[in-house]
Amino acid sequence: MRMRNGIFVAAVALGVGIAFLLPTSGNGQDAAPKGDAPKGKGGGKGGFGKGGPAVLAGPMPRLPDGHPDMQGYWNGPAVTDVQAPGRGGAPGTIVDPPDGKIPFQPAEAARIKETREHDAVDEPTLHCFETGVPKNMWIQFGFQILQDPTHFIVLHEIMHQVRIINLDNRPHIPANIHLFQGDSIGHWDGDTLIVETSNHGDKNWYDDTGTAKPQTVHVVERFIPVDANTITLESTMTDPTAYTQPWTTRVTLRRANAKMPDGSRDYEQMEFGCVEGNADLDHYTEDKGGKKKVVRVPQAKQ
Amino acid sequence: MLDMTHRLIARMGGFTAVAVLLAAQALAPAASGQGRGAYAPAKGWDGHADLTGIWEAFGAPGDSIEARNAAWGIRATLGSVTDPPGGLLPYKPEAIAKRNANFKNRAQLDSANKCYMPGVPRLMYMGYPFQIFQSSKFVIVASEYMHTYRTIYLDNTKHLPDVDFYDGDSRGRWEGDTLVVDVTNFNDQTWFDKAGNYHSDALHVVERFSRTSADAMTYTATIEDPKVFTRAFTITVPMFRHTEPNARLLEYECQSYREDEASGNPR
Repeated sequence: MRMRNGIFVAAVALGVGIAFLLPTSGNGQDAAPKGDAPKGKGGGKGGFGKGGPAVLAGPMPRLPDGHPDMQGYWNGPAVTDVQAPGRGGAPGTIVDPPDGKIPFQPAEAARIKETREHDAVDEPTLHCFETGVPKNMWIQFGFQILQDPTHFIVLHEIMHQVRIINLDNRPHIPANIHLFQGDSIGHWDGDTLIVETSNHGDKNWYDDTGTAKPQTVHVVERFIPVDANTITLESTMTDPTAYTQPWTTRVTLRRANAKMPDGSRDYEQMEFGCVEGNADLDHYTEDKGGKKKVVRVPQAKQ
Repeated sequence: MLDMTHRLIARMGGFTAVAVLLAAQALAPAASGQGRGAYAPAKGWDGHADLTGIWEAFGAPGDSIEARNAAWGIRATLGSVTDPPGGLLPYKPEAIAKRNANFKNRAQLDSANKCYMPGVPRLMYMGYPFQIFQSSKFVIVASEYMHTYRTIYLDNTKHLPDVDFYDGDSRGRWEGDTLVVDVTNFNDQTWFDKAGNYHSDALHVVERFSRTSADAMTYTATIEDPKVFTRAFTITVPMFRHTEPNARLLEYECQSYREDEASGNPR
């Protein structure tokens, strides 16, 4: 990734490395069986161990209140371009419309073209901004899910950001309030968690390559438990001012089963520094990043 | 204890009597610890005392944990130091000069002015609400400041070896209805407050979260740092729960607003 500082290095070395490069056994949070778990190969960019047999088996565990217990550490795919086709003819991230492209209104298409071609310097993580909904769930670096009867909480390693989803049917906050993480309200539909998010900010993208997100978008995510180690996440974006029709992404979230290398503890997320010593913007000058000038913040560096 | 309450009342001046009573309620059990008369809080779904909700510290520890006069951007305060008595921090003589230099140059040196993670205990009382979540294995403290969260591990694990963090490494346990958190593995980049009170990488913090009434708790932090202080000291801060029906943890995205200001287009 892009951040350059000691804490980030620690995060890579201890977090990503340990989580995904070592044989997997145990799991982060649930009462998983210990001992001689099946060994599997980890590895993979920003993500889940390929072919690493999971310790948990069978269906998703359940909470005392009967809802699926998705607690633990997870990884999504690292989506760098939300409209990119899948490899080998497989579907890309966008599954509806079937062509895998965002159905932009003309003005939004022009805005995105401009952003992609000239505004690379606005890429949100360069600035250490929270990644926002729905991108949160398909970024490099893993996340932890924590649940209680009225909250579904996502604790990300990247940007040490937290996303709080209230499950108590409360109304959204006033429309003039904009948050990087938006305002997320969820409810259970059988075993599927449905989360509606509004009140987005205007500095977030869907990916790393300029697909900017309008703050007027309404996002509905469906967390569908497949088995103990797999969640299918479908996200539908609706905004008549920007899109001619709703569009839907589908990604797979996989449980990160790992222990620290000495076996002394389950996987833990590390502290992720970004503002602290961030030098990313130094790489974006007018000729590299396009016609926009980089905004320099005094004393941004140590 | 009464002394502390009286100081608080004196400092608050125009605040309502209700707030004073709440503050007294919050502070009262701090002296008695878990002794007689301690409030018996409701249990959370994890079976322990319920600390969940959106909380905020009361008073001026975010400005200065040490008793001091007002200054530009800093309120006058009688301080949060409850041990040793007197309200002053037990600095080593040679450490006071650095604190004074920090104070003088705080606009440039305070890492909170650069949107950095603020460290512990400062995150708990720096003036932003925080939300607590509980499970049998974790307590999560999520702050509105710069989307910073703490994971407090309850699984009897030891501190991590050979790694340091801005916000330290937090390992907690329940002592009755009190959550006790041992925090180590700090770097030396954060301060305790806006007034330049500081620590080294030898910082060791023991926090205690104790509910004192339906919507109040007392937070104490006992702080050791042999490189900077001659002895351990304890700060005591009353915390109150947000009870607005639609209370939310919102966002203070420091870096974003800083860029807005620098761009000449604040919003």
